[in-house]
Amino acid sequence: MAKYHLNVAHLYGDLLNTYGDVGNLLALEYYAKQMDVELKTEVISLDQPFEKNHFDLTFFGGGQDFEQKIVSKDIQKKKNDLTDYIENDGPLLAICGGYQLLGQYYVGADGEKIPGIGAMSHYTETQDNNRFIGDITIQNEETGETYHGFENHNGMTFLGEDERPLGKVLKGKGNNGGDASEGVVYKNVFGSYFHGPILTRNGELAKRLLLIALHRKYPDVDFSQQEALVIEPTF
Amino acid sequence: MTIKSAIATTAGKSSYWFLHTFLKGGSSLPGKITAALDPDILKTLGANYDVIVITGTNGKTLTTALTVKVLGAKYDHILTNSAGSNMEQGIITAFLTDKRKKNERPLAILEVDEANVIKVTQYITPKAFVLTNIFRDQMDRYGEIYTTYKKIIDGIKLAPEATIIANGDAPIFHSIDLPNPFVFYGFNHEEETESLAPTNTDGVLCPVCQHILHYKIRTYANLGKYYCPNCHFSRPELDYQLTSLLEQTPTSSRFIIDGQPMEIHVGGLYNIYNALAAYAVGRFLDVGPAAISNTLSEDDEQVFGRQELIQVDDKEITLILVKNPVGLDQVLDMIATDTEPFSLAFLLNANYADGIDTSWIWDGNFEQLTQMNIPQFMTGGERYKDVSFRFKVAGVTDDQLIKEPDVSKVVDQLKSFPTKHIYVLATYTAVLQLRKSLASDGYIKEGM
Repeated sequence: MAKYHLNVAHLYGDLLNTYGDVGNLLALEYYAKQMDVELKTEVISLDQPFEKNHFDLTFFGGGQDFEQKIVSKDIQKKKNDLTDYIENDGPLLAICGGYQLLGQYYVGADGEKIPGIGAMSHYTETQDNNRFIGDITIQNEETGETYHGFENHNGMTFLGEDERPLGKVLKGKGNNGGDASEGVVYKNVFGSYFHGPILTRNGELAKRLLLIALHRKYPDVDFSQQEALVIEPTF
Repeated sequence: MTIKSAIATTAGKSSYWFLHTFLKGGSSLPGKITAALDPDILKTLGANYDVIVITGTNGKTLTTALTVKVLGAKYDHILTNSAGSNMEQGIITAFLTDKRKKNERPLAILEVDEANVIKVTQYITPKAFVLTNIFRDQMDRYGEIYTTYKKIIDGIKLAPEATIIANGDAPIFHSIDLPNPFVFYGFNHEEETESLAPTNTDGVLCPVCQHILHYKIRTYANLGKYYCPNCHFSRPELDYQLTSLLEQTPTSSRFIIDGQPMEIHVGGLYNIYNALAAYAVGRFLDVGPAAISNTLSEDDEQVFGRQELIQVDDKEITLILVKNPVGLDQVLDMIATDTEPFSLAFLLNANYADGIDTSWIWDGNFEQLTQMNIPQFMTGGERYKDVSFRFKVAGVTDDQLIKEPDVSKVVDQLKSFPTKHIYVLATYTAVLQLRKSLASDGYIKEGM
């Protein structure tokens, strides 16, 4: 039996699960085990409420246009709870479509403007007949960590004033191919266009998410042992 | 034949003769030359044939080969295109080089790439289309499943009278109304129980009302006896059905279709679907069930080429091409049916032909393999680090794992494995590299 327990929400895991996104959950479990933490993961999908006080960690992946559009309607019902969760420093990892849907809006490949939940200030435009596809490397300017991944997106995302990028693009295109930013950090939300999946190639980020969740759930516990966990390079 | 077509045909045929005789190749260039001289050439070449078009994401090649075998029971001569020549030019070459007898109306069974269906139907009206499945496939190159299906439909719309022989277990093939007659095949082999597809499955939304589909029988991925709990959308009535699954091993399957026992010498549930598709085409063209069963049960190495058994000294190596998540998961399920001890290697490259995005390896259920006492794992290819970590997360320990980035050294490593059975999963260019190395050591003949 593990000493610590975290409840993980996998938002729309049955609909948004392209590009091996599930690897993020497998990586979280892999590192959690080494930190004496057990994860209990639950898919929260269409017509199901998001219980903001129940979950300690949330993952929100990307999907195909059709599924994403269905999700964009359903998620409006979870908007308030998700916004409260984010504002209360709940840790959340959002990839691609999930990242876009937390923001103001995104424009689909067919030109239709689809509202997000507006919990965050970024917005996403479309590019004509082009996608950013290829290997990408970024550097997080606060931690100095380098992250490796693969991007494959049509959307061009622009960050708001209160948001900062997950990293500066060293190789690849990033959020919009223009301002050298990739992904977003806002409170304890991490958004990114990285597949790979992001946590399997960048264990430091998995560790960071787990530690945030642990400190938030167990504020009086000393996690220095967990903090000392050495992440072996995997890429 | 117009003068233009005649010149184009002659030019194409002579280039094929030249390439074939002197360079031992030439599957698409003759078609390219011919099409350049006469863009409408397929209309001329295909005019006298009854054409069956086989398309879908996975299983095209084997379904085509099996269908040719099945129809061989009735037709003396069948035109088909070789694997990998499923685009317009390869198809033109196949027609150019066909040696049909005069005065007969021959049959052409063509494997056609999803996006190239329309390039065929612009010139030829097929008698039938066979739709195997549509899965997520190398998404750095292809689009999503709905886009892929749309491309096929665009081609089918030019032939509204052709019969569509479709996998009835795939919800997507029941999602768009078409004037064509439909024939469906599928599985009815289990008692019905209520279930949902596993979380990581693609294409589980009802196309009518966008609720999540439920299943009464589910075979794999999103295939099965599906229904929508919110509206009337459900699996269509099946015209041909598999009623029992008797036995599955990594190298064979036994089952019953419409009361007729069958055996095929290839493992994997997905290959049973391919056999079922071939059966449906056979029945559609009036071949009897017993005759189909006879042809399918022949152990024909050329037909089952993608999954290849290679003897390396005392080791039996099964080399399997993997390219997308559903295919990978099916291969893992098939390997899991081996009753002998075995080892496993995965060679991952990320060249254009492999798919430059390697994230799909995370969709394979490797976790099931670590429960099976596999003594030796190996990772290789330029992206061996990605697979190594995938194995590690699945539960493979460091002492069970050999890493060999250089594919040319893989064969030597395999010789010292502790088991006689070894499965090597590899992406396209890694298969080529491994075959090259096996050929230079004399274990197989040169060529693909």
